[in-house]
Amino acid sequence: MSQSEAKRLRERLNNELKRASLDHCVKCTICEQNCPVAGVTILFSGPKFVGPQAERFRDGASVDHSVDYCSSCGTCTVVCPQGVKVAEINSLARAVMKAEHGVPVRDRLITQTTLMGKAMTPVAPIANAVLGNGLARKAMQAVVGVHADAPMPTAHTQTLRGWLKKRPARSTPATRGSVVFFHGCAGGYFEVEAAKCAIEVLEHLGYDVIVPEQGCCGLAEQSNGLFEQASASVRSLVAQLRKPGAELPIVSVAGSCGGMLKHEAHEILGLDDPDLLDVGARTRDISEFLMELHDAGDLPTDFAPIPLRVPYHQPCQVRSQGIGMPAADLLRLIPELEVVESEAKCCGIAGTYGLKKEKYEIAQAVGKPLFDMVLEFNQGVAACDTETCRWQIAKSTGVQTIHPIQLVHQAYGLGRVTV
Amino acid sequence: MSRDAIVVGAGLAGLSAALRLAKAGKSVTLVAKGPGGLGLSQGTVDILGYTPERVTAPLDALGKLSADHPYAQLGADAVAASVAWLRDELGPELLAGDPASNVHLPTAIGAIRPTALAQPSMLAGNITGGRRYAVVGVRQLKDFQADLIAGNLARSSAPDGGTVSARAAWIDLPARAGEADPSGLTYARAMDDPAFAERFADAVAAVAGDCDVVLLPAVLGVKRLGVWREVAQRVGRDVAEVSLQPPSVPGIRLFDALLAKVKAAGARHIQGSLVTGFASEGDRVASLRLAAAGGPRDLACSNVVYAPGGFESGSLGVDSYGVISERVFGLPLTATDARDLIGPDYWASQKLFAVGVTTDDKGRALGPDGPFRSNLYVAGGLVAGAERWTEKSGDGIAVATGVRAADAIIAGGAA
Repeated sequence: MSQSEAKRLRERLNNELKRASLDHCVKCTICEQNCPVAGVTILFSGPKFVGPQAERFRDGASVDHSVDYCSSCGTCTVVCPQGVKVAEINSLARAVMKAEHGVPVRDRLITQTTLMGKAMTPVAPIANAVLGNGLARKAMQAVVGVHADAPMPTAHTQTLRGWLKKRPARSTPATRGSVVFFHGCAGGYFEVEAAKCAIEVLEHLGYDVIVPEQGCCGLAEQSNGLFEQASASVRSLVAQLRKPGAELPIVSVAGSCGGMLKHEAHEILGLDDPDLLDVGARTRDISEFLMELHDAGDLPTDFAPIPLRVPYHQPCQVRSQGIGMPAADLLRLIPELEVVESEAKCCGIAGTYGLKKEKYEIAQAVGKPLFDMVLEFNQGVAACDTETCRWQIAKSTGVQTIHPIQLVHQAYGLGRVTV
Repeated sequence: MSRDAIVVGAGLAGLSAALRLAKAGKSVTLVAKGPGGLGLSQGTVDILGYTPERVTAPLDALGKLSADHPYAQLGADAVAASVAWLRDELGPELLAGDPASNVHLPTAIGAIRPTALAQPSMLAGNITGGRRYAVVGVRQLKDFQADLIAGNLARSSAPDGGTVSARAAWIDLPARAGEADPSGLTYARAMDDPAFAERFADAVAAVAGDCDVVLLPAVLGVKRLGVWREVAQRVGRDVAEVSLQPPSVPGIRLFDALLAKVKAAGARHIQGSLVTGFASEGDRVASLRLAAAGGPRDLACSNVVYAPGGFESGSLGVDSYGVISERVFGLPLTATDARDLIGPDYWASQKLFAVGVTTDDKGRALGPDGPFRSNLYVAGGLVAGAERWTEKSGDGIAVATGVRAADAIIAGGAA
């Protein structure tokens, strides 16, 4: 990476409001209390130590490598009562470090989610067989640094676009106007079921669902300190999502990627692009969107009962959107469905963090309380709003893990996901 | 559909109000930027500690306070009932004691601190004349300096007038190998593992020597309650936890338990979003504005319990001209000029800290001509009239004003 990029990032770290916010830090330790990573390893000395505390002393010196053990879950910023942008400061510090010291090839590869989807779909059975093969995964760990036991997505032979093209035209009229649908890379290639269910629920409610061509939001690149690439990705996505109309709500089934559009690209990448801010202001997580309808008295709740106890985990990057727990509130409207919240800060995977061979054990330790509670409370199914978290939970517990909207889809009589 | 109540703030006041409301069947949304102040607290419930003389019977001492103190408006009966309600909600594994009488617990610097309710793990530390205390520190844990604590206790007289004997001892037991600077929370997490708690207890037993009570850092488990009993049994003597500076393990226990109860009672919880404004309809607050990611969200509500804390949380602020203001509503305050309220003597009374909002007897914020809004209740550190730090009155005020606001809403006073 160029020295000019390193210089630009350091300027940002030194001068932006996020940097200034560290002077609001009163050293109360609330971020340290809540950091899921510092709780399980001494390799990360905690968000306050590497962030507001250490940043004061750096004065041009390179950032301590321990900052790379931050998983970017964002919990520190969520809990800071003084409004210090702890996670944003640390993400920027990591980007400076990587710009100055270089980025491993592995970190460049695992961020290419759309590319993976496009490459794997036509050869899905082969790709799945390779990723499911222990020897191949051991080779991958040795050569690339992706841990052999880390969860990998499952490729499908049909993409969401393929499904959209082949499905019959809707039979019910659109009575509520249009929404723009954001499915994320996973929703397009790996987790098409969640995206299909969300589209069918929105159509059932009377929306005309517009699904524009869309690329990656850049979150994985951002988490790996690749800010230039992440900025290009999110800018291109923003243009795609704005195409269908300037006033339309944008409904996201990709929990964490929605957060990228709402605030992370603005606050971490430092993009002040008015188009991005416009998309961020119009973006709603699918559960948030439905609960806003409910609170306005506009959500039909003629749900069929689902007699099931379901462990629900809210991903860190959905919690950091500051919208409460709309998926849990929504699921509780379904008769006989008992929702048990995980109370866990993070599942450990944090996008690509838990894939890395040097961080895999940490990620599993972070997720352990969640895995334990899923194993204790599940009756065959767990629910979670973000794809990589679902893969992590499913891989670590063996429990089928679905998007909450799939239960809503069933409760509206549109399909069946539970046994 | 608007919520019956939005409670702003997740400290003792907000959590008490939210729990009381949710248990009464009200639809509640608890909104807080952070997890409140409990994780920074001692994990006890003070009612009144100093007037400025050390208080042994806090409810009796409330009568000595001035008429503009929050306790004067609340009355001793309401304070006692509110604090007892909280104790009974949390149960004897988390809070014990009698609101009418203080215990006197050692602090992490060996001072003797009066408080009304404490965790059962702390009660053997009630400093009593004639008892012999062993203060056992852990070499790796810098926040508990056993020599300092024992030295200060040994030169103090017990609240009952007797003499205190105290000596220090140390154990060497890393919680996580190789960690340079572990916090108390690191130890508490390790202590959630029964095997580590046994090793800890055995190490303590080996150095405690001849004593009646072993004083230990308050790290005896954070998720698992009752670790102190196992340790006491293994040590063969009474043990007592001494609260440390933050991160406060006993405070985190109270926060976790209260929030779990609030959620189990059906409340929604929004964490991480600051309340930045409000909208009115006539004499009512109609909605609160939240700064969520991406843009504002307006939450409609029938009532508001506003318990955001005072200066310490930024809810009250002083600008560079010395002007004091309240952040969200611009509520009328008992003073707006800070310049004469900050004294030169750090240890003397600082009148600035008594600045806040005055309330009617239901707990509604008062303007010049009656309630500021008919459905806006305030609770906790924002209520004017107390210098909580020096009086040790903040917890009791928080619980009692939180309960008062909830009860007014439950009774349908204003909605």
